[in-house]
Formats: sequence, structure tokens, C-alpha cells
Amino acid sequence: MTAFLAMVVVGVGTYLSRSIFILALARRRIPDAILVALQFVAPAVLAALVVALLIDDDGGVAIGVPEIAAFLAGGLAAHRTRNHILTLLAGMGAFWLMRALI
Amino acid sequence: MSVNGPLVKRAIGDSIPLFIPAIPFALVIGLAIVDAGIDPFVGWSSSWLIFGGAAQLTLITLLGSGAALVAAITAALIVNARHLMYSAALAPVFQRQPPWARWLGPYVLLDQVFALVAIRLDDDPAAFRTYYLASGATFWVLWQLTTALGLFIGPVVPEEWGLGFAVSILFLGLIVVAVDGYPKAVAAVVGAGVTYLTAGLPSRAGLLVGALAGIIAGTAAERLRR
Repeated sequence: MTAFLAMVVVGVGTYLSRSIFILALARRRIPDAILVALQFVAPAVLAALVVALLIDDDGGVAIGVPEIAAFLAGGLAAHRTRNHILTLLAGMGAFWLMRALI
Repeated sequence: MSVNGPLVKRAIGDSIPLFIPAIPFALVIGLAIVDAGIDPFVGWSSSWLIFGGAAQLTLITLLGSGAALVAAITAALIVNARHLMYSAALAPVFQRQPPWARWLGPYVLLDQVFALVAIRLDDDPAAFRTYYLASGATFWVLWQLTTALGLFIGPVVPEEWGLGFAVSILFLGLIVVAVDGYPKAVAAVVGAGVTYLTAGLPSRAGLLVGALAGIIAGTAAERLRR
């Protein structure tokens, strides 16, 4: 139930962010300073998330050779191909390979 | 009201190739729901309640990893804040649309839909509406189906495969594609670094500190460059 409520809250917030200018503020412009800051939301939050997902219950960051190998292989594939399917295959491939070897 | 058939077909034809890169996200969301121990129907409901892959994945993985509810919700909302830019960019063309289209349109305003319609802002209002809504509906239907499919794949995959880690790889892929200059690289590196340094904070609150630090650092780097 808590999870469902969380989704409703995020759903409403997402709809608001998509609709606010279309429905209510059509004559308003986003101030330039905020427009600049918005560009950095995606890279900053996603990078924070990647690290946050590695944090274990004791507050330590659990990262080993398989994870590092997966990030290098996945990052390289993403850079070269910009293709999420190949990124996933390269990353998980490296992850499984290093886990099997160590 | 007559529907412009060829234009609908065109919108669907333009949308499907753009949907293919989203398929791994849809399947991984299904896996993440199973992984997080969230009721499958409740988890899948995020597909029509939120209808945005990165925010859904953020919310589901954080709920499953024991983050505080407020931290998980805030992080998902920050992920989706970029939609403000799309809303502002499309506000002028939507002023020529009837109220029902102004209310319905934003619900399907995905990154991909924005990319498709951004080059059609000068179309006449009826054609714009037909193309926009046909594209949005295509993504909506495909997204509901593929995230549901992920729920069935989730329980079948053995836990030893560690597929939960796929979420991190997909996020990394999104970062690499988004970084188109050094200010964005600064935002990502500072975001990751500060989250690492604040990892000991309770309920994964460090995530929010790191995200905010990354946004500030990126903005500062952009200022310095000018």
C-alpha cells in the first residue's frame, strides 16, 4: 500500500512537471538560471543513483572487481554505440565473466 | 471529427524504432519490481501512474533497497524534473489546442515524444494533435505491455545471475549518452563523489545531497566556461 501511494505521489508530481507550462503558465518563461540548472539534473541524479544502489545496509559502498569491470565495459559500449541493449550486454557480460574468474 | 489515417500511421511508424532502445528498461523494471519484493500489480501500476522509465526504476529500486519513503519519492521526482523543459517548450503550440488535448497531452510527454514533435511545431493544430497523440498512445501501449512482460521474466531468472545490477549499468549508459561536454561530466562526477562521501547518512539521504551537489557543480562549471 505504501508503495502504491508513493507511485501515486510521483505520478502526480510527474504530471505536474509535464503539464504546468502547458496548462497554467503558457505566458511564463523558465528563468535562464533554472533552465541552465535543469540540464544538469539528469547526469547528477543518475550518477548519484549509481553510487546509492551500491551502498549496503551498513552505509559502506560495496564495489568489487566485477562491478568495476561491468561499469568500464558498459560505459565503453554506451560511449561507442549509444545503444542500451549493447550497453547492457557488455556490462552484464563483464560482470558475469569477472565473477566466474575470481 | 475525422481522423487523419496516414498521419496516425506515420506517427506509429516513427515511434516504434524509438521504442526499441527502451525495451531493456521495461524488462529491467519488471525484474526490479520482483527484486524489490513489491506486489507485481502495484509495481506495474507505476507504468500508467508515472509513465516514465527512469523515475519508475528510481522509485522501485530505492523502495526495495530500504531507502526512506521521502528520499525515494524525492529522488524520483528530481529525475523527472527535466520534463519542465519540455512543458515550457511545447506551451506555445498547445495554446492552439482544445482544453481536452491540453489536459491529455502532458500525460504522454515522454523524452521520445518530445523529440518526435519538436520538429513539427509549425504543423497545423489538428495535424499536430493527431501526430502527438498517436505517438504518445503508441509509446503508452508498448510500455504497459513490455513492463508487464518483465514481471513474468523476473521470477524465472535465477537470483545468482545478479540481474539487479543491470539497473546500475542502464543508469550508467544514460549518463554516458547525456554527457555532451565537460560541465555535464562535472555534474556526474560530483554527484557520484558526494553520494559516496555521504554514504553513511541514514536512509540513503546521501543520494539527495549528492544529486544537489552535482547540479550545483555542473551549473558552476557552465558559468565558468562562458
